[in-house]
Amino acid sequence: MKELVNTLSDPKYSFTGVIIGFYLFMKYYRTIGTVKFFISSMIIILGVFIWMMQDPNFHAIIVWPDNVPIVILLFAVIFFTWFSIYKAAINDARIEGGETPVEGSVENREKVWTWPNLVYTELMAGTLCVVILVIWSIFLKAPLEEPANPTWAPNPAKAPWYFLGLQEMLVYFDPWMAGVVLPGLIIVGLIAIPYIDTNPKGNGYYTMAERKVAMGGFLFGWLALWVYLIIIGTFLRGPNWTFYGPFEVWDFHKVVAEANVNLSEFFWIKGLGISMPSNIFLREIVGLIVTTGYYVGLTLLCNRSQLGSSLMKSLGKIRYYLLILLLLTMGLLPVKMYLRWLFNLKYLVAMPEFEFNL
Amino acid sequence: MAKKQSLAQYVANTQVWKSIFRHGPPNNARNRAAVIAGNVFLHLHPIKLKRSGVQLGYTWCMGGLTFFVFLSLTVTGVLLMFYYRPTAEYAFNDIIALREHVPLGIMRELHRWGAHLMVITVWLHMFRVFMTGSYKPPREFNWGVGVVLLVLTLLLSFTGYLLPWDQLAIWAIAVGSNMAKATPFLGHGGPGANLAQIGDFVMVSDKNDVRYQLLGGRFVGEPALLRFYILHCVFIPLVVGLLIAVHFWRVRKDGGISAPL
Amino acid sequence: MHKHGLHRRAFFGWLTVGWVAFSAALGGFLSLVFRYTYPNVNFDPEMDFIAGNPDDYDEGVDERWKNGYGVWIIKQEGKLVALSNICTHLGCIPNWLPAELKFKCPCHGSGYYMNGVNFEGPAPRPLERYKISLNSEGRVVVDKTKIFRYEKGQWDHPDSFIEV
Repeated sequence: MKELVNTLSDPKYSFTGVIIGFYLFMKYYRTIGTVKFFISSMIIILGVFIWMMQDPNFHAIIVWPDNVPIVILLFAVIFFTWFSIYKAAINDARIEGGETPVEGSVENREKVWTWPNLVYTELMAGTLCVVILVIWSIFLKAPLEEPANPTWAPNPAKAPWYFLGLQEMLVYFDPWMAGVVLPGLIIVGLIAIPYIDTNPKGNGYYTMAERKVAMGGFLFGWLALWVYLIIIGTFLRGPNWTFYGPFEVWDFHKVVAEANVNLSEFFWIKGLGISMPSNIFLREIVGLIVTTGYYVGLTLLCNRSQLGSSLMKSLGKIRYYLLILLLLTMGLLPVKMYLRWLFNLKYLVAMPEFEFNL
Repeated sequence: MAKKQSLAQYVANTQVWKSIFRHGPPNNARNRAAVIAGNVFLHLHPIKLKRSGVQLGYTWCMGGLTFFVFLSLTVTGVLLMFYYRPTAEYAFNDIIALREHVPLGIMRELHRWGAHLMVITVWLHMFRVFMTGSYKPPREFNWGVGVVLLVLTLLLSFTGYLLPWDQLAIWAIAVGSNMAKATPFLGHGGPGANLAQIGDFVMVSDKNDVRYQLLGGRFVGEPALLRFYILHCVFIPLVVGLLIAVHFWRVRKDGGISAPL
Repeated sequence: MHKHGLHRRAFFGWLTVGWVAFSAALGGFLSLVFRYTYPNVNFDPEMDFIAGNPDDYDEGVDERWKNGYGVWIIKQEGKLVALSNICTHLGCIPNWLPAELKFKCPCHGSGYYMNGVNFEGPAPRPLERYKISLNSEGRVVVDKTKIFRYEKGQWDHPDSFIEV
């Protein structure tokens, strides 16, 4: 059983699972957004978690002080995702029945005094927060390792937990992509959301049915990529940044046969059986074509699809192409991940001469 | 014989009390308005707001909590500065002393766990704002300010990570700052950097790229510690404070906590 | 028309001059502030050192200079080379795993053969070599200010190795 869990948590299986799960989540959100579903699935999740905690290796990772916030975050994310879906499901049913969303009901539109209503809530939330923080601080010491030593790196050397998604991305991308371009695009993309999303519905209340595209795009990036990669980076990456299942011992000497090959080597040496051309651009021609094809070809394909053409109409050209560019760049990550797992592909375009690897 | 006053009534009638609180207890409409409008801290709030805006089920109170945690981080951070010296010689020992020799040995814990909590609450706040579509007009600009605040929160946490000067600290920062090295054109290890080369003269080298600026040197050393300390304790908090003011102001000006149109 | 004072055209001329001068002064000052953030002097650790005699080294990887100088001395195929211990991916310090005959980086799992050429993980290029030479007393001198990169074909350079 534990063997099976170890195998299945390998990113190539677990990420596939996450994608399927995300699809089901978007499709059956009304079933998921019920109290019954929440309670039964929480019982299962907590049961599995407690069972997993029996294992000394898993237990050791979870209770490592700096990992505690991630466990808290995970349960918070599960709860709040469900909670917003729950509210959205209620609102969607009301809207279908011709009613206003709950937030727009006459009772809720009524104005109330800030004192005492809001001030009281704030006081309670603040007090609760301090209590939690003090208890947390008493029971868990802030981690401190050996004094800094610039000549010896600990193994594994991990960034702060909220950057572990980025560190995990570094496995699949060169630092200029994973560390600069993609984070930069995440920030730009987030800021651009209100300017791209022109859908006037769903402003100020929970809903899913009225803004499925926006929800799908955002939730996929947030849950299936960002949060998922943090989980992998925190709990399942051990010494040498090798993958370790949740019940596996972090054995320093675990050997993973992993010899990654660039697309140019696949093409010239393995495919055509000749040596690589000395001209850099000729050498990387396949990768350049594939990358351009990914962006141009998929954009053209989107234009032809029904959703694409209706989006083009409602958004206008600039917004539409910006959206496609951002989505395709986000899609680059899962694409690159699968290429690595399936073909040991290292870089599509490898030009170390210019430090340009993609 | 005058009616006997309770102590509370007596205090409320003194000149001192009346000079501080210029209105009676907030138990009628006039005073409830006066208590919000007349207090510099409370006047961040509107005097009245829609019922949906005070419901925990709608707002999750995550934005408020984030601000609250930011304030407590400021307080604990200032207190930590009493005992911490940002030099390679003292930093690590001062951190140990904070746990071993300083009264109330959990000040650093409060600060560190508070920082983690703030990252969590900021994320959940953004998540809530997205889920309720509250970034839609007229709140587009404030969403952008919020994204910048999110990035600054992560940077605050990141710069604070170096200060204990232990192995965890310097290697996390080494990895992080080496990403700056890979910035296209601006970092010496990034694409395009070696195009900017005239003969033997390298224009973008490890002595003048963005990483050098960030670290004040070519590797994570004492200048980096001092720089990160200043960024962490002074520079970024000032910018964050400023942007929080803009953020709150715009929440009010854009029509308060979002609700269906 | 104005009898005295500025004419309309002259006024806008002076206005433009004023704004250009103001912007230039502001830009100049800000670029100096930017320059201010780059220190002129900083204290690097020693960049060159004497690493014993050539016959101190056995075939294979020698780790005695790793802590302190950040250099592996590698003797292989009749050549002595000084290999940098800074991972070309993100600057972590790889570990030498004698059992598997490879360098393995703890941060993101880049792997290098004994000669420093990368073969697994995200490292984009091989480890760098430092200048290595013999001084007049026949001792090995490693100079970290000069680096040799494989992908640029610099490993054939006579300063990048010693024949032993």
